[in-house]
Amino acid sequence: MKSYRLQLMVCAGTGCVSNHSFEIKDALEKEIAKHKLQTEAEVVTTGCNGFCGAGPLVVVQPDGIFYQMLKVSDIPLLVEEHLLKGRPVKKLMYVPPKEEAPIPKMSNIPFFSDQTLVALRNRGMIDPENINDYIARGGYKALAKVLMSMTPDEVLQEIKKSGLRGRGGGGFPTGIKWETCKRIQSDTKYVICNADEGDPGAFMDRSIIEGDPHSVIEGMMIGAYAIQNICEGYIYVRMEYPLAIKRFNIAIEQAKEYGLLGEKIFDTDFNFDIKVRRGAGAFVCGESTALMTSIEGNPGEPRAKYIHTVEKGLWDKPTCLNNVETWTNVPPIILKGAEWFSSIGTGDVTHDAWGGSKGTKVFSLAGKVNNTGLVEVPMGITLRDIIFNIGGGIRDGKKFKAVQTGGPSGGFIPENLINLPVDYEELTKVGSMMGSGGMVVMDEDNCMVDMAKYFLKFTQEESCGKCIPCREGTKRMLDILENITSGKGKEEDLNLLEELSNVIVESSLCALGGSAPNPVLTTLKYFREEYEAHVKDKKCPARVCKQLLTYTIDEKQCVEVGHGCGVCKKNCPDNAIIGEIKKAHHIDQNKCGKCGVCYDVCRFNAIRVE
Amino acid sequence: MITVNIDGKDIQVAEETTIVKAAESAGIWIPTMCYSELFEPYGICRLCSVEIIRGKRTRIVTACNYPLRENGLKIRTNSPVIQEIRKVLIELMLSRWPNVPVVKNMAASLGVIEPKFVSLERDEAEDACILCGMCVNICRDVVKANILGFANRGIKREVVLPYEKMNSECIVCGACAYVCPTGHIKIKSLDYERGAVADWYLGPKTAINIPTLQAVPRVPKIDEESCIKTQTGGCGICSTYCEPEAINYEDKDEEVEIEVGQILLATGFQLIDLKQMPQYGYGRLDNVYSSLEFEHMLNSTGPTGGLVKCKDGSEPRAVGIIHCIGSRDENYHKYCSRVCCMYALKFAHLVKDRTKAEVYQFYIDMRAFGKGYEEFYKRLLDEGVNMIRGKVAEIAEVHSGSDGKPYLLVKCEDTLIGKFREIALDMVILCPAIEPQFDAADVKKIFSISQSPDKFFLERHPKLDPISTMTDGVFIAGCAQGPKDIPDSVAQASAAAARMLSLISLGEVALDPVKAEVVDEYCSGCRICNNLCPYGAISFVDDKKISNINEMLCKGCGTCVAACPASAITGKGFTDMQILSEIEGLLSI
Amino acid sequence: MSTTKEKSWSPRIVAFLCNWCTYTGADLAGVSRLKSSPSVRVIRTMCSGRVDPTFVLKAFKLGADGVMIGGCHIGDCHYSEGNFKTLRRVEMLKILLDQYGIDPRRLRLEWISASEGDKYAHTTLDFEQQLRELGPLQLTE
Repeated sequence: MKSYRLQLMVCAGTGCVSNHSFEIKDALEKEIAKHKLQTEAEVVTTGCNGFCGAGPLVVVQPDGIFYQMLKVSDIPLLVEEHLLKGRPVKKLMYVPPKEEAPIPKMSNIPFFSDQTLVALRNRGMIDPENINDYIARGGYKALAKVLMSMTPDEVLQEIKKSGLRGRGGGGFPTGIKWETCKRIQSDTKYVICNADEGDPGAFMDRSIIEGDPHSVIEGMMIGAYAIQNICEGYIYVRMEYPLAIKRFNIAIEQAKEYGLLGEKIFDTDFNFDIKVRRGAGAFVCGESTALMTSIEGNPGEPRAKYIHTVEKGLWDKPTCLNNVETWTNVPPIILKGAEWFSSIGTGDVTHDAWGGSKGTKVFSLAGKVNNTGLVEVPMGITLRDIIFNIGGGIRDGKKFKAVQTGGPSGGFIPENLINLPVDYEELTKVGSMMGSGGMVVMDEDNCMVDMAKYFLKFTQEESCGKCIPCREGTKRMLDILENITSGKGKEEDLNLLEELSNVIVESSLCALGGSAPNPVLTTLKYFREEYEAHVKDKKCPARVCKQLLTYTIDEKQCVEVGHGCGVCKKNCPDNAIIGEIKKAHHIDQNKCGKCGVCYDVCRFNAIRVE
Repeated sequence: MITVNIDGKDIQVAEETTIVKAAESAGIWIPTMCYSELFEPYGICRLCSVEIIRGKRTRIVTACNYPLRENGLKIRTNSPVIQEIRKVLIELMLSRWPNVPVVKNMAASLGVIEPKFVSLERDEAEDACILCGMCVNICRDVVKANILGFANRGIKREVVLPYEKMNSECIVCGACAYVCPTGHIKIKSLDYERGAVADWYLGPKTAINIPTLQAVPRVPKIDEESCIKTQTGGCGICSTYCEPEAINYEDKDEEVEIEVGQILLATGFQLIDLKQMPQYGYGRLDNVYSSLEFEHMLNSTGPTGGLVKCKDGSEPRAVGIIHCIGSRDENYHKYCSRVCCMYALKFAHLVKDRTKAEVYQFYIDMRAFGKGYEEFYKRLLDEGVNMIRGKVAEIAEVHSGSDGKPYLLVKCEDTLIGKFREIALDMVILCPAIEPQFDAADVKKIFSISQSPDKFFLERHPKLDPISTMTDGVFIAGCAQGPKDIPDSVAQASAAAARMLSLISLGEVALDPVKAEVVDEYCSGCRICNNLCPYGAISFVDDKKISNINEMLCKGCGTCVAACPASAITGKGFTDMQILSEIEGLLSI
Repeated sequence: MSTTKEKSWSPRIVAFLCNWCTYTGADLAGVSRLKSSPSVRVIRTMCSGRVDPTFVLKAFKLGADGVMIGGCHIGDCHYSEGNFKTLRRVEMLKILLDQYGIDPRRLRLEWISASEGDKYAHTTLDFEQQLRELGPLQLTE
C-alpha cells in the first residue's frame, strides 16, 4: 500500500456535503496537482466528524490540523502554505467563542477533546466505502475473536456484564434482550438493525452508517452469533438516507467478497446474511413493531400486542431488534472487555441490568449553541458540560433557557436542572428521556409554548392514526396549543392539556403516543408561568407568538432617525400603517395582521414589539 | 389453570386467556369498541384499558389483548385512573362523532353526556366511520380478501378500497357491513338497479342455508358461490361452532358409480322464466311475484311470518292472480300446466282469509278437475272472489294514485262481458307454466329414452304403460313425465315403485331373446362386424380365425347381421329368412 | 277392367321401422287417431341398422312401389349408432337403385322419434302421394 506524507481528510458527512465539501475536495485535488504534490498528499473523503456547525471541514493528518468553514477560494492558499511550505494557515482554523487565538489541532478543540469516542471511534479516520480502512482500524477483529475463541454464551455474558443498553430510546438492557431471544425455542430467528432515524435534527445513526457501516454489520454478526439460530439480518433504513443505503450495500458486498458475510464465516459453521430494507418515511416505523410490519410488507403501524418481539416479532418469529448505535457499540465491548465499557458511565449494573447507564451516548447538539453537531459523551456527563464546554455556550451571548432532549417526544429541561447528569434514569425522572439522542438548546428568545407546539405538531402529523388517544388526542392538544399561541386560550385549557396529556401517555398503543405529550407536560411543569402569560395576559414573553404581539412605531425614532422613510408602509401586507413621508407613521391595530414585516424592514429600530 | 384477581374477585382461568374474557367469565363488564371475537384483538379504542398490579408496580394495559400468564396477578377494571382514561377517550370520540349511536351509548354508559373538547373534524353524520377498524380486520383476518385498508396518517386516517375504487378482488361477502358498528358501510344491490329479480323476501340468504324450511331431509348446505371459504380460503367460522364437526369444506361434488338394476326418473320440472314476458313486469315492478315467491310469503316460517305484505310493508288493498302465464299459450307452451287453477284458488282463499284485500282471478278456463276441486271453486265464488275470464295484456305501474302510493294497473279483456277492463291492484301474482327441466334432453340421452313434443319424458304407452319407458328398467314418475298435481304424482310414483318391486321380487330378469349369432361354418373371418358393434360384443377368436358374439353383451340391434357379407350372422327373431318371408307375405296381397 | 284397376291403384309401401322410435311413433299415431297412409306395410326391426340392403331389393322385386326405412334421430339411437350405419347404407343403395333403373325417390329414409306420431302420419301420407305421382314400379326381368 502506498503511503503519503500528508493525508487530507475531507469530511463528507451530510452537513459538510451540503456545505459543498465535494467542491472543496475537487479544488484540493486540483491544487495538489498544480503543485505536483500527488505523490506526497492524498485527499480522503471521510464520514461525518460531528462538528457540522463548522463545516466544511478538512483535517490534515498526521498532525491533526483542523480547518473549518472552508470555501473554494481558500484552497489555493491552504495548499500552498500548508502542504508546500509547511505553514498551517491560522486564519482557517477554529477560534473558540470569546477568544482570539485559534486552536490548530483537532484534538485540542474542546468540542472534540471533551468527547469520548466509542460508537464514533472511526469518524473522520476511514473511507466508509473501503473495507480495508475499517480492517486497518481493527475492524472485524472482534468478530474473529468471537468466532474463534468464544462460545455464544460467553459473548452474551460479556454484553450483559458491560451494561450496554439500547440506544434507540427505550434503554432496554441489550444483554437481557439477546438472552430472552436466545431462550425462545425456534429454528428461525431474525436480527434487525433499526436505522429508521426519524427524529428531526437527529443524525447520529445516519452519521454512523455513512461513516462506518461495517461497525454496524460486525455488531449485528456478533449478536447473531450470540443469540444463535439466526437465519437472517435486516437493516431497515429510511428512504431519505440514500447515501446510507448505498454505503450499507457497498459494505455488505465488500464483506461478502472478503468472506465475512455469507456461509462458513472464518471457516466456522457460522452463517449469516444481511438484507437492506428501505422504509417509506413514516416516523412511526422507528417503533419496533411498526418497523417489523413494514418489513413484512404491510402498512407500518404498531401492533397491539403484549407479546414482546423477541418472542414473536418479524413474521411471528423471535426477533432481536437494536438500534444502529447499539450495534456499533458491540465490537469494542468484545475487544476491550466488559470491564472497560462499564467503567464509563453511571450506576452499577452487576446485579441489576437497569441499575445504571454505561458507555457513551451520541447526541446531536442543535439549537442555540455555538458548536452544533454530533457529540459522543460518556454517560453521566452533565448537561452543562455538553452545552457549555463541548457546545461552546449559547450563541450571541444570550441566556440559556432550556434544553430539550430525546427527539420530538422528549421533554424540556430548565436551567435549574442543568447540572443533571445525563443518563437514562435521570432524564426520565425530570420528565424527559434519552430517546435517540436529540438535544435542542433554547435561549431566552424561544417561547416554550411555541416550542412545545412545534414538537407536538411533528408527532401529531406523524401519528399513524391507529389508536384513538394518539390520533384524536394529539390533534386536540395541538388545537388547544394553537388557541393558546393565537390568544384564544382559556385558563382551564392548561388543566385540560394536562389531563389529556396524561391520558394519552397512559393509554396510547405505542411509544409514539406514549411520549408525544412530553414536551407539553414538561413545559407545563417547568414553564407554567409562560403558559399563564399566554392565556391570562395574552402576551408571549419571548415575543415569538405573533398573534399575541402588538407592533407599534416609536414616533420619535421614526421621525428623528428614520425621517419617516415609509418603507414599513410600503411593505405592510395589511395596509395597516398610516403616515406620510418625513412624518411619523403609526400602525392601525385593527388592521395589523401581526406578520412582523415592518419590524424586519425598519432600519431605524423604530418598530416596538410587545 | 391460573388464578387471577379481578376487582377483588379470584377467578380461575386457563393460561393465555385475555383479561376481557376472564372478566366476562366473572361477569365484569369492560367497555370495548373495536373488539370482536372473530379476529385477533386490534386494541385501538383503548377503552378496555385496565390496571394490572404486579407487586408494587401498576401498569395500564388493554384488556382485549393482554394474555394472562401468571398466578396472582391483580387487575383493576374500574379504578379512578381507568375511569378518567375512558372518559377522556370517549369524549375525544364524542367530540368528533357526536351523533353516532354506538359512541353516544358508550359515552352515556361511561357517564359522559357532553365532551369537553371541540373537534375541528366534527362529523355530524349518524352513520359516520369511527375508524374502529372492524371492517379492515374482518376483511383481512376472517374473509382473507384483504380489500379494505387504511389510508393516510394521523387524524386524516380513513378506510379505503385499493386506489379508492371498487375492486374485482372484493368478493362482495358483506362481512364489513356486517361488523360495521355505525352502519357506515352499506350493502347496495347492484343487481336490483339493473332490473333483475326483486327478490326482497327470498334473499339475501346466508351462505349456509336450508333451501326451504320444509325440505326433507332438513339439512343445511353451503352455497359455494357465496361462501367466503370457497372463495378466499378464509372464514371457516361455522366449523368452529359445529360441535359434531360435521362441516367439511373439502367435500366436492363427485361422480359416484352405483350398480343398479332399475332406475326411476323423477327429475321434476322447472317454472318458466317470467322475465321473457316483459309485459307482466316481473323483476321490474315491485309487488309482482311468481306463485312460488308468494307461497314463500304465505309460509308462516317465511320472511313476513305468513302475512301478505307489499314491499313497503303495507297490506295490499287489491290482489290479482293471473293464470296461464306461459301455459296454454301458442308462444310458449301449448299444454295446460294443470296445477295453477287450484293453487290460484288457494291463494285467493288465503288472501281473503288474511287480509281485507279484494281478489281478482284472471283465468282462461277454470279447470277444477280433481276430487273435491269443483266444490272448492264453488266455495271461492261464494267468498266473493272476482273471477275475470280473459287474458291479461299488460301490467303497468301508475304513480298518480290519490294517496301518492304507486299501484299496478292490470289491463285485460273480460270475455264474459266483452269489455276491455283496467283494474288497479297493489299486488299481482303470476302463475308460471310448468316446463321440463332445462337438462331433460341430456337425461333423455343418458337413458336412451324419448321426449314427447312438449319435451317431457315419453312413457312407453300413453294409456297402457304410463310409467315405464322404452328402455327396460327405466321408469318415470311425476312432472318429469308431464305436468301433474301432487295426488297424481304420488299415484304414478307408487305405481312405478310397485312395478320395480315386482321385478325385484321376481329375483331374475328375463332377457330379450333377440340376439345375434355367428354361424361358425359360414364366417370367413373378415372382421367387418367386429368394429360395427357399439357394445363391443363381437370379438375375434384367433385360433379359429372367426368372429364370435358374446350373447350377454349383445343387445340384438342386428347391425352386424345386415353387414355380414357372408350372411354368417343371424339375428334371432329377426333372421333374414323371417324378414324376407315377411316381405313376401306383405307383398303377396 | 284395366281402367278400374288403374283408378283403384294405390302404391304398396314396405316400411322397415325401428322398434324404439319410428315403430312406437307409428303406434302413437294410431293411438292419437291420426290418419296415416294405409298403403304402408310395416316390418318391425329392432334397429334401422338391421335393414339389410337385400331386404329393400327383395321388396322392390316382389312388387313394392316404395320402401321406407324409419329410424331414431341421429344421436338418439337406442343402440347408440345403428342409424349411422343405416344412413351410409341407404346412400349406397340409392346409387344402386338408380343403376337398376329404380327411381331412388322410391326409397325413403326418415328419422321419426317415438313422440312424433304426427310426423309419422304426414310422412307416410306424403310418401304415398309422391309414389302416386311416380306411378307403379314396373320392373322387367
